[in-house]
Amino acid sequence: MLSRLALRSAAARQLAPTSLVVRGSASSGVRDEVNFPRPVRGEPGKVRLGFVPEEWFQFFHSKTGVTGPYTFGVGLITYLCSKEIFVMEHEYYTGLSLFLMVYIAMKKLAPNVAAWLDKEVETVEKEWNQGREDTLSTLEKAIADEKKAQWRAEGQEMLIQAKKENVLLQLEAAYRERAMQVYNEVKKRLDYQLEKSNVERRLAQKHMVDWIVTNVTKAITPDQEKQALDRCIADLSALAVKN
Amino acid sequence: MAFGDYPKEYNPAVHGPYDPARYYGKPDTPFGQVKINELGGWFARRNKTPSAIIGACSRAWWRWQHKYVQPKKVGMAPFFQLLAGSMTFFYVINYGKMKHHRNYKYH
Repeated sequence: MLSRLALRSAAARQLAPTSLVVRGSASSGVRDEVNFPRPVRGEPGKVRLGFVPEEWFQFFHSKTGVTGPYTFGVGLITYLCSKEIFVMEHEYYTGLSLFLMVYIAMKKLAPNVAAWLDKEVETVEKEWNQGREDTLSTLEKAIADEKKAQWRAEGQEMLIQAKKENVLLQLEAAYRERAMQVYNEVKKRLDYQLEKSNVERRLAQKHMVDWIVTNVTKAITPDQEKQALDRCIADLSALAVKN
Repeated sequence: MAFGDYPKEYNPAVHGPYDPARYYGKPDTPFGQVKINELGGWFARRNKTPSAIIGACSRAWWRWQHKYVQPKKVGMAPFFQLLAGSMTFFYVINYGKMKHHRNYKYH
């Protein structure tokens, strides 16, 4: 609660110097590009005689022709000198010699200095633009990298899908292996049961046969044996006679 | 309008970036198109408060700056203009002393 109060008071303090911006954005208005275009850095204004604006000569041109402004200038200077409104005291001759020196310096040095300064201007402007261009290219590279990373992430999803399928296949294989194991185990037990019952039946049969044979042989009395033997001999002799 | 503020008429939403050489109020007839007989009325309509006069001088200064000083490749023109202007100014303020150096009595 206390911190929120502090925040609110800080926000209120910040509002005061930004009232300008608030005023601008609050009043409804559409940007007027026609009457208030964005200022551009133009070419320097044209001058004649080193410093007199071209507009001054254009102002005279329609009234007096080409020589008018020069005539006006010479006339004005003549008037000022003639009436000694412009007083040629000792400093005037200093000025004349200074003008001569500046004129010669302009004629001799100006082209080289101008070329050097133009080159420097280009260098400085290039340096200033360089940071912006670097930032732009860095950001474009970052965007490209981001898109590539997104593409890779999509590939990762496909990989995850494939891995999931792989796991499912492994699960299927494990299931089938275990089913097979169960089948084998059950079969083994059933075989055991079958074998056991076979053995039991065989033993029982054998035992039964033994028991019956023993009992039968036990039941035969010596008389019966003798009678049988006699009978056999009689049958044999009868057979022998027939042949 | 306090010190350091933009003019009252300036509205960033409509006017875009602030141009110090520009007058954002309601424009009157340009001085160059005023007829001689309308000159009195034109001058009467002007705002003659100190802040308005300073604002007009500031706009003139920035117009001169944008035209002659701020372009990418300027020549010596602004320096010669400053030189001529300062020579004239100092000649005018020293004219009372210069007068005593006149060479001729009669003109």
